[in-house]
Amino acid sequence: MEYVASVEQLRLKFPGTDTLLFKDVSVSFTKGEKVLLLGPSGCGKSTLLQVLSGIIPHSLDIPMKVKHIRIPTNWGYVFQDPDSQFCMPFVDEEIAFALENIGVPREQMNERIEHLLRAVDLSVPPHTNIHTLSGGMKQRLALASVLALEPDVLFLDEPTAMLDDEGTKLIWQTVKRIAHDKTVIIVEHKIEHVLDFVDRIILFNDAGEIVADGEASIIFRTHKELIASQGIWYPGVWDDYLKQKKARADSGERQEVIHLHHFRGYRNKEAKIYVPTARVQSGEWIVVTGKNGAGKSTFLHALMRLIPTDGEYEVYGTRLEQTKQLARQIAFVFQNPEFQFVTNSVWEELAYSLRLEKRNEQEIATKVEELLKLFHLETQQEQHPYQLSMGQKRRLSVAAAIISGQKLFLLDEPTFGQDAKNTFALLELLESYREQGAAIIMVTHDEQIVKHFATRRWVIENGQLVRDEPVTQTERERGLSREMGYSLS
Amino acid sequence: MRWDIRYRETWLHRTNPSLKLLVMTGVFIVVLFLHNPNVLINLSIGLLLLLFIYTGYPLKYLVLFFLPFFVIFVSTASSMTLFGQGTTTWVQWGLVHITKESFLRGMHLGFRALTFALLGLIFSLTTRPVYLFYSLMQQLKLKPKYAYSFLAGVRLIPIMLEEFQTVQNALKVRGADHGGVFKKVKRYAVPLLSQSIRRAQRIAVAMEAKRFSDTTKRTFYYHIGFSRYDVVFLVSLIGLVVLSYYMATVFPYIPVTDVR
Repeated sequence: MEYVASVEQLRLKFPGTDTLLFKDVSVSFTKGEKVLLLGPSGCGKSTLLQVLSGIIPHSLDIPMKVKHIRIPTNWGYVFQDPDSQFCMPFVDEEIAFALENIGVPREQMNERIEHLLRAVDLSVPPHTNIHTLSGGMKQRLALASVLALEPDVLFLDEPTAMLDDEGTKLIWQTVKRIAHDKTVIIVEHKIEHVLDFVDRIILFNDAGEIVADGEASIIFRTHKELIASQGIWYPGVWDDYLKQKKARADSGERQEVIHLHHFRGYRNKEAKIYVPTARVQSGEWIVVTGKNGAGKSTFLHALMRLIPTDGEYEVYGTRLEQTKQLARQIAFVFQNPEFQFVTNSVWEELAYSLRLEKRNEQEIATKVEELLKLFHLETQQEQHPYQLSMGQKRRLSVAAAIISGQKLFLLDEPTFGQDAKNTFALLELLESYREQGAAIIMVTHDEQIVKHFATRRWVIENGQLVRDEPVTQTERERGLSREMGYSLS
Repeated sequence: MRWDIRYRETWLHRTNPSLKLLVMTGVFIVVLFLHNPNVLINLSIGLLLLLFIYTGYPLKYLVLFFLPFFVIFVSTASSMTLFGQGTTTWVQWGLVHITKESFLRGMHLGFRALTFALLGLIFSLTTRPVYLFYSLMQQLKLKPKYAYSFLAGVRLIPIMLEEFQTVQNALKVRGADHGGVFKKVKRYAVPLLSQSIRRAQRIAVAMEAKRFSDTTKRTFYYHIGFSRYDVVFLVSLIGLVVLSYYMATVFPYIPVTDVR
C-alpha cells in the first residue's frame, strides 16, 4: 500500500521543557484514509499534524529528529482559531490569496472563488468583510481557501473548537461532502459528528504515546473509558454523565434578585436590547439563548451598565447606577478569561477583589485557600494566570469573579471551547452555588446545559427578550421542579 | 463593523495608488521648500477643495477627520506667532511677544502643517490598503513578503480595537480601572500584546500553510494598472501647484514673498 504521509521514530521536544513530547513515534497514512487522532489536551496531536504537514520545522522552528518522514505534496491545513488564519480583509481576497500563491491566472479566479464558496456552502457575496462573518462561516471560509490549493491530504486541527453546535454540524457536513476522495487527518475533541466519517482512530495517552490504532468503531468501543477520561465530547457523553449526576436539590427560601421593566441597552445611541419585563429569583439558573448577534452579550453588558441603559432595573430592590456598585452584587465572567486577569499569580488573582474591599489579611488568606481547593487550583497557585491550561484559566476566572461573595452570577458562554471534563466540573461548581441560593444568568449555545442544568430559559431574538419559560426537566428531575412551583409567566 | 463608513467612489479612488503616493510625496517636498506664504495659502485652499469635494465622504465625517488637523494648524501657528522673534512689534505682554515677522512665520508654519495633513488625509481616505499594496507590488516591485505582512497587520487592527473594549469592560467590572498611568498601561498592554503576538504568529503559520512564499512566482487577483484617471490626477495636482504660484504672483494676499 502506498503511504501519502508517514513519520518513523519521531522525536520532538519543545524548547524550555524537560521531557520529550514524542519519543520514537511512528505512524503512517494511506491514500483516501479518514483518520481521527484522539488524546488528552497537551498530548501533542496538533504538533503531530504540524510535523506531518511540514509546518514543523519549515514554519515553526522546533527541534525534532526523525528517521524517515514523508510529507504529502499537496496538502491543506485548517486551524482552530477562526480569527487568526486570514491575512486579507475580504472573503474573495482571502481565497484569491491562496490562488495567487499557486499561480492561478487572474482570469480564472472569480469563477474559482464562486465555485469554492458554493462547495463549502458559504452563501455570501464574494466581496464580504470577513469581520462580519460568524465563527462557523469563518471556518468554512478557511476550508474554502484551503480547497483552493487542491489538496490531496487535508489536515483539520480542531476546526470546530471555537464553534457552537450548529456551526460544528455544518463544518462536518461540508467536510463530508468535499473530502470523500481525499485523505483526511483530523484532531478533534467533539467527535459526535465525526465518528461516522472516520474509518480509523489513533488514540494517544498523556505521554504522547500511541495506545491504540485501528478501525474506528472497534477502537471507540474497546477504549471508551479511556476516551471518556480524557474529556472528549463523544456521543452519549451526557447520558453517561447524567447517570452519576446527583439529583438537583432545592435552594431553600426565595428572594427577588433582579427586577427589569421596559429595560433597554444602547450601543451608539441605538437600542440594541429591550426587555419588556423580567424577574430573577435566588436559586434560579437562567440560560439566555438566541442566535449569533441576537444581543445576548449586549444584554449582559447592559445588566452591568457597561453600556448606556434606561428603564427600570433593580438589584435586591435598589437601583444601582454604576458598574462599580453593581460589581459588588454581581459576579461577571467574560467569554475570554485572559482579558479579566489583572495580577501575576493565581493566588493574587483570587485575592484581588478582597484586597480592594480592604478585608484583613487573615480573612483573605482563608477565603483564597478555600476557593483554591474548591476550584482545584492549589498546585497552580504560584503560576502566572496566562500559564494555566484552558480549563484552569476558566475556573480561575470564575473563582476570582465570585470570591467576594456575590449571590448573582452573570456568565458569558463559560463552557465555550472547554472539554467535557472541565465543562462538567464547572457546571457542578455553579450548581453547588445555586443550591446555596445564588442566582445564575448564563449565555450558552449548548442545549444539553439548558436541558440538564437550567431552571428557566430566556430567548433573545433581534435584540428583544421574546420568551421566558421554565425548562422542562428530565423524568428524574421533574418531581423537583414541580416542588419548586414554577409558573409560566 | 462600526468603523465602516460609506463613501462615494470618485476619480481620486480610481487613481493608481503608487502614482498617487509618488505625486503626493512630490508635492510634499515642494511644500517643504516653499517660503512664500501666498503660494502656500493658495495650495491649502486647493487641497481643501479637493478634500471636501472629491474624496466622496459625507461632510459630517470630513469635518470630524479634519478637526484634529485644524487643531494642529492652530497650535503650530500660535506657538510660532506668540514667541517668535522679529523687529516690528505688535503686542508685547510678559512672555508673549508678537511681531509682524513672527506672525507671518507662524501662519506660514501653520499652513505648511495643514498642507501636510491634507495630503495625508486625501491619500488615506481615497486609497484602500489592499489596492495600495497590490499596486506597490506590481508597479514598484515591492516584495510580496512585506506587502502581505502589512495587509495581515491591517486586518488585526479592528480585532485589537474590539479586544481593547473587552479589556476595558473587564477591568471596570473587576474594579481595576483606577491607579497610576504605569499600572494602567500594563493592565491593558499585557493581555492585548499577548493576544496579538500569538495571533500574529498563527497568521504567519497559516499564510505559509497556504503556500505563501517569496520564491515562487505569484499571480495577482487585482490587476492595478493605469487609466485616464491617472492623467486627470497628474494634471490636476501639477496644475494646482502651478496655479498656486501664478495666483501668488498676480494676486498676492500679503506683500511678503519669503518669510525667512
